[in-house]
Amino acid sequence: MTLKGKLNRFKSHMSHNEQSDKKAIDPEVNLPNQGRWEKEGVTPYFLDGEFCLIRKVKYPLSFKHGQYRLSDYLEAVRIWNESDLKHPLSTKGYKAEQLFFFDTETTGLGGGVGNSIFILGQASLIENEIVLTQHILPHPGAEIPLYYSFLNQVDYRTLVTYNGKSFDWPQVKTRHTLIRDHVPKLPEFGHFDLYHAAKRMWKHRLERMKLSVVEKEVLGVERIDDVPGFLAPMIYFDYVERKDPEGMIKILKHNEIDILSLITLYAHLSFQILEVDRNQTIQEKYEVGRWLTSLGEISSAQNIYMGIVNDDSHASVSSQIQLGYIFKKQKDFNQSLDYFIKAATKPVFSDLQIEACVEAAKILEHQNKDFRAAINYCDIAIDLIHQGFEHKKITISEIQKRKDRNHKKIHFLDKRKIHE
Amino acid sequence: MNNRKSLQTILEDLKLQESFRENIVHWHTIEAKPAKTDALPFVLHPKLVEALEKKGIDKLYTHQKEAFELVQKNKSIVAVTPTASGKTLCYNLPIIQSILTNPNNRALYIFPTKALAQDQKSEINEMIQSSEMSLNSYTYDGDTPANIRQKVRKAGHIVITNPDMLHSAILPHHTKWVSLFENLKYVVIDELHIYRGVFGSHVANVIRRLKRICQYYGSNPVFICTSATIANPLELAENLTEVSMELIDNNGAPSGTKHFLFYNPPIVNKPLNIRRSATLEARSLAANLLKNKLQTIIFARSRVRVEILLSYLQELVKNQLGPKSIRGYRGGYLPTERREIEKGLRNGEIYGVVSTNALELGVDIGQLQACIMTGYPGNIASVWQQAGRAGRRHGESLVILVASSNPLDQYIIQHPDYFFKKSPETARINPDNLIILVDHIKCAAFELPFKQEEQFGGLDTVEILEYLTEERVLFQNGDKWYWMNDSFPAHNISLRSASQENVIIIDQTNIAAVKVIGEMDRFSAMTLLHDEAIYLHQGNQFQVEKLDWEEKKAFVREVDVDYFTDANLAVQLKVLEVDKQRCVENVEMAYGDVTVQAMATIFKKIKFETHENIGSGPIHLPEEELHTSSAWISLEKDLKRIGQERLEQGLIGVAHTLKHIAPLHVMCDPQDVHVVPQLKASHNEKPTIFFYDRYPGGVGLSERIYTGLENIILQASKMVEQCQCETGCPSCIGTDVVNNEGKSDVLKLLALFSEVGNCHDIKG
Repeated sequence: MTLKGKLNRFKSHMSHNEQSDKKAIDPEVNLPNQGRWEKEGVTPYFLDGEFCLIRKVKYPLSFKHGQYRLSDYLEAVRIWNESDLKHPLSTKGYKAEQLFFFDTETTGLGGGVGNSIFILGQASLIENEIVLTQHILPHPGAEIPLYYSFLNQVDYRTLVTYNGKSFDWPQVKTRHTLIRDHVPKLPEFGHFDLYHAAKRMWKHRLERMKLSVVEKEVLGVERIDDVPGFLAPMIYFDYVERKDPEGMIKILKHNEIDILSLITLYAHLSFQILEVDRNQTIQEKYEVGRWLTSLGEISSAQNIYMGIVNDDSHASVSSQIQLGYIFKKQKDFNQSLDYFIKAATKPVFSDLQIEACVEAAKILEHQNKDFRAAINYCDIAIDLIHQGFEHKKITISEIQKRKDRNHKKIHFLDKRKIHE
Repeated sequence: MNNRKSLQTILEDLKLQESFRENIVHWHTIEAKPAKTDALPFVLHPKLVEALEKKGIDKLYTHQKEAFELVQKNKSIVAVTPTASGKTLCYNLPIIQSILTNPNNRALYIFPTKALAQDQKSEINEMIQSSEMSLNSYTYDGDTPANIRQKVRKAGHIVITNPDMLHSAILPHHTKWVSLFENLKYVVIDELHIYRGVFGSHVANVIRRLKRICQYYGSNPVFICTSATIANPLELAENLTEVSMELIDNNGAPSGTKHFLFYNPPIVNKPLNIRRSATLEARSLAANLLKNKLQTIIFARSRVRVEILLSYLQELVKNQLGPKSIRGYRGGYLPTERREIEKGLRNGEIYGVVSTNALELGVDIGQLQACIMTGYPGNIASVWQQAGRAGRRHGESLVILVASSNPLDQYIIQHPDYFFKKSPETARINPDNLIILVDHIKCAAFELPFKQEEQFGGLDTVEILEYLTEERVLFQNGDKWYWMNDSFPAHNISLRSASQENVIIIDQTNIAAVKVIGEMDRFSAMTLLHDEAIYLHQGNQFQVEKLDWEEKKAFVREVDVDYFTDANLAVQLKVLEVDKQRCVENVEMAYGDVTVQAMATIFKKIKFETHENIGSGPIHLPEEELHTSSAWISLEKDLKRIGQERLEQGLIGVAHTLKHIAPLHVMCDPQDVHVVPQLKASHNEKPTIFFYDRYPGGVGLSERIYTGLENIILQASKMVEQCQCETGCPSCIGTDVVNNEGKSDVLKLLALFSEVGNCHDIKG
């Protein structure tokens, strides 16, 4: 029996997926269906006898994508340049023309060397238009022209991506390593990753942080006739075999919308952080405050918290607590205690109330030496927990300990008084 | 305790004790051996000299010195090193020397298990720190935290990992390991002898992939292997790595006096030749040692035996030592549990451990004084590995091999020369097993495209590449084949077993705290985790309440019963193709491809103490199908004179005998080869005995059985002939033969089978 015969017998022991009797088509240097491609603005790019495909689409700045126009991106960059806020999304010192909005489509969902990128999509501002360029791998093995052309067209120090830090860019690096002798070197790079920003801002209201969810829920983008991203590998394999562009064109459109969404998402996020969005919710303001706090931009954060502190929402009470912490750190214990007490006496959000009580008790015990008042706040917190409310980080036993300690201190003071 | 006895005293007592002495078939004393040493190499880096000094080492054993010198000359080596002979210096010295000389150099250490890798890291790091060398060594396995992985990849001089990790995490992501692969000078393969059979065949392919990637990045590493004593370390090392090697077998390490006892339990039923159970004998021998607080390891052949012995022993000594002082150790336990036991053995908190061969490997458990083997572990190399657990470095030690009634054990115990004089087993691999090969060619194509005429381990690949292209796994463009699939092939390929998915064992004794207590491969689960099976874990009995075959989950609940369960596997065979054939008039011998259909049918409940059958039940599990290679031998049909029934019984007896003799001759684990008798084989309608490889596609065992069939049958005849029983017993033809002519029928049949080559007529 031939080797192939044996291979077919052992088929059930080998774990690759569906079979097909279709023969792979021999690769051709001539572009099949050239007419159809040209209609979509796709042209071949040749290098050393190999080629890749490049698609170019231009959008006027007035183009409306969801609730934003592309021109809002320019506005965002302008405001960043006027602001002194230190922030990872800040483009101070950059011109709008310098940013590249970047997204890929790959043949697999996991990592690994064998997972290839077959669309490298990017968009940037050129002469008052958004120019979207997609580099397409017409078949495996054509990566040298693909990366050569792509890397010559973008400035990879200023990419804007959605989770590109942990997915797209490592994958580019992986594939680039394979052909590094043929294409320009990849430098270390700066990177604006909007995924992490979106997670900070909206994880309180969105269950999943996929770009398609964020653009729909936050940016108001409606996709029509869109191919879901997870089908991309199948469609690509089919294209490689049959060379019929229709499926690929749909994937290109999908990638195109992803990139447009990156542009308006950047604008929207910037307006959030810089507080120029009139429709910003109190919760969003609070999240910005938290973000700035974590970046060490305390005074900006403080301003934001102050602005939303007089409200009865969860975010507002949270802000009171945050202000309590900020003033405590600045050793302004009176102001700090004021904010904690304010939050402690608002019986709306019990977890926050527990935290505020404990913090108030700490200051009363250690700064004001008012042990009875401290005990009083401990009692409120204990009572709340007994009622069934809970705080993720605070246990009843630690409050009890604090309470006991305050009792001891009172006892000690009383004794001393008697002695005196 | 005042009446505690030392090992010497116990040995003296044993010699005097009639009831014990009678059962000792052979008392072999291996004399203490002095060290053979040599001066430290002249060129050794001062930092290394310092580190060795701090460990109190001012000389090297001869094998360590030779290893150093050969590796210095860029020769790949395989060093044969018994337990505790200082094998780690064989690779650590030349490698650290090389890195100290050129900090760009990198080394990759491959250990068969995570535990061994951890051990090794501590050892190297101790050395590095003792003389403040600027050298980084890291383990890279599933437990490595994400935040230090980057550092390991970029800056690890010595990366310590296991073959599974290399296969599924390092090679498929080689672009993240550029600095390792560009500068890879050394690859260490420790415990080489483990890489045999299916696992070895997989690992050989992983090494082909490793070398392919090294070549891509322009490196060409030297391989350093260390192995326990096997017959063919050089051949195995060269087959596994496909580089030529130098053999180092002048072990210079000293060893203490070792008393090696062959113990055959007394016959309790003369006519049936039934001996007392090895488990019971091992139990009382172990109890005697443990009561005197001698650290003892007891090896048992199966998981079930481990658990039975464990519960016996824990019960026996619970008042003297406390139940925690005796522990079980085997595959199904979770890693944390295992680590805790290893530590307890090292620091002396645990006196006794009952283990499967899981502790054969070089996991560091310190020196034990005594070792008891319940039954022959199946191959000579294993015996030496297990015996090495007692008296690892110096001092007197005791090893007792307790024979069971099974034919192989009886053969070994009655032929001590076979054991002490014969060289140990040959470890074999078949990296070209088509299924294994194709799996790894897929992984290799994922890692780097294949070029036209590229070879993989010296094999032409084009047919396989074309096949994979037709299967839409690869895509051919010009003269290259590219990965063209959205899967990650290494994730679907396990190096360790044929069945990829394990069954998870879930303890639901406490509904509020349901927990996973272990896992088991699918094939074993058919007979060990079926509904109503008694599953033993750390001496506790669990009954399987439900085996969810679809979801691969077995739900168990703790019970307390006085029996264990034993399941039957029914097997059907179809010959697909005959590759080789030797035909004589009356006997037909052949080798080829077969389909095996196996189904668990019924289970029996067997009482602990008496081993009597106290009930049974059906097993409802789907049939498992296996395509593999097989050797078979058929007799002419014309055997009517002994009658259908006797013929059938006779064949069962012959199969029972061959099942034990065949592994001895092809030198594999008994479970790797199955032997099945058929009264009328479906392809030729003749009485036939089949031998088949357990792994899909075969790993070459059946083929070697085919070549040596005459000899195997001759040995089987001898074994049955020499057995002291009258009409057949568990030690020769097994207990499934019920009629009184069983033994003589088996001998007749074996005689008929061995007529092969003589071309006799079987008449009269």
